[in-house]
Amino acid sequence: MKGMKLWATVAAAAACAALIWVMAANFGKDPHEVPFMLSGKPAPAFTVDEIGSGQSRTLASYAGKPLVVNFWASWCEPCKAEHPVLEWGARNFASQASFIGVVFEDTEDNAKDFLQRNGQAFPQMLDSTGRMAVDYGCSGVPETYFIDAKGTILTKHIGPIDPRTLADYIRKLSSPQPAPSASDNP
Amino acid sequence: MIALLAAALLAATPHAPQREASEPLPPEQEARVQLLGKQLRCAVCQGLSIADSPSSMARAQLDTVRSLVKEGKTDQEIFDYFIARYGEWALLAPPAHGFNWIVWAGPALILVLGAFIISRLVRTGPEPSQASKEAAPPSGPPKQDAAEAEDPYLAAVRAELKK
Amino acid sequence: MSSALGYGFVLGGLACAAFGAVVGITSGMMQKDGGYPWVRRAVWGFFACMLLANLTMVYALVTHDFSVSYVAHVGSRATPLAFTIVSLWSALEGSILFWGAIMGSYVLAFALAHRRESPRQMQLALGTMMAVGIFFAFLIAGPANPFEAVFPVPPDGPGPNPLLQNDVLMIVHPPLLYLGYVGMVVPFGVAVAALLKGEFSPSWMAPLRRWTLIAWTFLTAGIIVGGWWAYKVLGWGGFWSWDPVENASFLPWLTTSAFIHSTMVHERKGMLKVWTLALALASFVLTILGTFMTRSGIFNSVHAFSQSDIGPTFLIFIALLIVFCFALLTTRAHLLTDERKIDAPVSRETAILVNNLLLVALTFTVLIGTLFPLISEAVRNVRVSVGEPYFNRMAVPGFIAVVFLMGVGPALPWGRPDGASLRKQLLAPTVAGVLTAIVCVGWGLRGLWPIVTFAVAGFAAVVTLRELFLPAVVRMKEHHENALLAFVRSAQKARRRFGGYVVHLGIIMVAVAVAASSGYSQRTARNLKLDEPTQFGRYELILRGFTNGEEPHRTFVAAKVEVKNPSGSVTEMLPRVNYYERSTDPIGTPALLSSAREDLYLSLLTFSAEAGTASLNLFIFPLVGWIWFGIPVIVLGALIAAWPPRRRSAESSLPAKAPASSDPPKQAERGAA
Repeated sequence: MKGMKLWATVAAAAACAALIWVMAANFGKDPHEVPFMLSGKPAPAFTVDEIGSGQSRTLASYAGKPLVVNFWASWCEPCKAEHPVLEWGARNFASQASFIGVVFEDTEDNAKDFLQRNGQAFPQMLDSTGRMAVDYGCSGVPETYFIDAKGTILTKHIGPIDPRTLADYIRKLSSPQPAPSASDNP
Repeated sequence: MIALLAAALLAATPHAPQREASEPLPPEQEARVQLLGKQLRCAVCQGLSIADSPSSMARAQLDTVRSLVKEGKTDQEIFDYFIARYGEWALLAPPAHGFNWIVWAGPALILVLGAFIISRLVRTGPEPSQASKEAAPPSGPPKQDAAEAEDPYLAAVRAELKK
Repeated sequence: MSSALGYGFVLGGLACAAFGAVVGITSGMMQKDGGYPWVRRAVWGFFACMLLANLTMVYALVTHDFSVSYVAHVGSRATPLAFTIVSLWSALEGSILFWGAIMGSYVLAFALAHRRESPRQMQLALGTMMAVGIFFAFLIAGPANPFEAVFPVPPDGPGPNPLLQNDVLMIVHPPLLYLGYVGMVVPFGVAVAALLKGEFSPSWMAPLRRWTLIAWTFLTAGIIVGGWWAYKVLGWGGFWSWDPVENASFLPWLTTSAFIHSTMVHERKGMLKVWTLALALASFVLTILGTFMTRSGIFNSVHAFSQSDIGPTFLIFIALLIVFCFALLTTRAHLLTDERKIDAPVSRETAILVNNLLLVALTFTVLIGTLFPLISEAVRNVRVSVGEPYFNRMAVPGFIAVVFLMGVGPALPWGRPDGASLRKQLLAPTVAGVLTAIVCVGWGLRGLWPIVTFAVAGFAAVVTLRELFLPAVVRMKEHHENALLAFVRSAQKARRRFGGYVVHLGIIMVAVAVAASSGYSQRTARNLKLDEPTQFGRYELILRGFTNGEEPHRTFVAAKVEVKNPSGSVTEMLPRVNYYERSTDPIGTPALLSSAREDLYLSLLTFSAEAGTASLNLFIFPLVGWIWFGIPVIVLGALIAAWPPRRRSAESSLPAKAPASSDPPKQAERGAA
């Protein structure tokens, strides 16, 4: 019995130490972060209707040029904050990338209203069923996806985007090889 | 009047307009949708399944499950769809392979270990020192509970039940 | 002004705790009695300081003194008074302050109740509790300080989390839980004192058990009320989602339940001493672990308070606690030897051992499941989820086995059973269990786990009811008393036993209700149109219109749904959607139509007043109301069991009935637990 007691004590001590280590190792990690698996994978095909004209657009129609897809909704405050940045980006980098916005979790009227008040510099689509958002592994708004000319998702940016980050990603999209630029990081 | 109020509400403090879910499928398929929904995790909630969560993201995900079921995909294909986008994190029970065996086999191991310990503790046959046991005053039961234990009527209960 | 005052009280509490701990433990270890009055004064001081600090905070909240950082964090002029007071515990810093007050009260109550006990033991016990008090007072004074002064003073605050303002149950649930959680400090102190002293005199068994039972009762009530709140307020129709913080409150409940049973074996056979004390220590460690999990910010949970830096401090405390408990148990274990052995594999002792095994295995399961996402991320950087499907699959069989043991255990005698009488004992309950299963299947119910649960519950219920009523029947015969008197007397004579069986009945009731409401629930989503009837289950629903309203902290729109049940009576139900300023997602409040048989549950998702449509989730939950009714049953049983008997002196070791007490269990002895 003594041997068994010793083993039991050692095992219990090891288990407790492991417990403490596991919890300590998780400090600083964000438990609310949602994993994203599509980096480096081909962008899923989509078919959505353009707001206003009602015309249907697909991924294929943007092939051959890098694409920036921004998911947003009219009721979301950070989306309102980042809207001017995207407008600027769409105009500034028009030769390097196409920009489209996708509204989901919202109604067309709300979206039209928002665009009327805040301006529209690039095509806006309505994902009425939310299918495109789920297809793209979206986990909320706002999120901005960066897709290269070959149709591969480079990465996505969660939360409102700032001009420098936007510029960085577009530069990465346009460079022929996806070589990591050591100089600056978003 | 309500329309005005609702519009005023929506204009004043921005709220996510709640969308109606897509139409339910015929009962068998819908039951399958709900079953799958219980096993998939809502992307924005704190651990709720997409079947349970009322948030609009969850309903978009459930609608996706519905259309996938309608398209005739198998359960595993539907799980794979979500795993491809959100990782294994999207499943509310980790698939049983590799590292995940810790969480599936761990409890069973504890149970087996414990049963083993109990079997060692329990001996069949009385202890040889039965007599000394009887005589030794145990530092055992506090007297007040002994008073409860030996109430005569309970002896009668025993007798009664033996009949 | 409030800031400085409140902070002063906190520092005072820290000083008192430190003083009490040092004096108590050194004096107790050195076996001197002189320090005892000082320790008691320190306990009084700690209590007073904590209480005053809390009152200061409540005053600051009610007067909307936004110069105090906590009030600026959760206060708001728009919040109704009741919820303003309640916001004392609605966020992290305030909740720890509240914890301190409850702890002060518990330790004081213990000190007063046992003031005439052995000074050495009391000094050690109180000293240990004060040591725990040091940690919490330090937290309040340092990392989690609610009394920081804020410059410039904001004019208003955001108010507490909208979800916490929805229902009156939210006022009740956290205090109950805290009373359960914090209550574990007392048994911890007693157990540590016993181990430090190196002996566990039996006269301390009863207080240890009683205080544990008190904490257990509050914890049970707190957990079930929490489930009730979730059910009534959250709108997804569930009452338990295996959320990490819910699990955290469940872990000490499991080990405490195991403890309550293992003390019975300890008492009867002088066995399992180390194990019983280890359970008492483990329950407290799990309590602190649970507190950590809620506040560390590393768990994804609805309950988790926002990120803060008290996580590392807590973790260090937990590590120290574990090391201390380990050291204590390993160095003192040899002093607590078993006096007897279990000599029959089929006996009540073995049944209790199996009960302990199941409960501890369940504890491990819930712990591993809750921690696995963290383990996976720490070890291999892959994120996984462990949620309801996992826990249901792993835990449900375990719980059913525990209910089964509730039937087997009382039916078995202490010590060796007599085969023939044992068979006779188990015959009626087994028949009842099998009959229940047959009736269920015959009635059209399907599904393995619910039917097994009902059968097992029937088995256990027959055993429990028999144990409750048979002594009364015997009394009626022997003493010629009438039924009521016999019943009351039989309860009075064997309080612990009687109370315990009442608790068992309550648990069986909850088990049946949970099985029925989860296994046979109906759910669907419908789009209702104005004045068009829909059939759901036994009910006919018609949408009649909408109504709206405004409350100081929110506005809402409700759908008016007329519900007709088969008997013809019509009720209006108002499921609604609430809009809070603080949140972009509207939060719904479901509407419930409860009856003994089932609940009809409506949850409003979307509506369109112009089109006259409303989209709702509809649920029917059979027997779910009986879960909430379990609370008074369990609490009543626990009260009966914990009620101290009238005696000449507190824990006298003078025998009331000399010879009977020392007798070992006879062959086929049954009866007293």
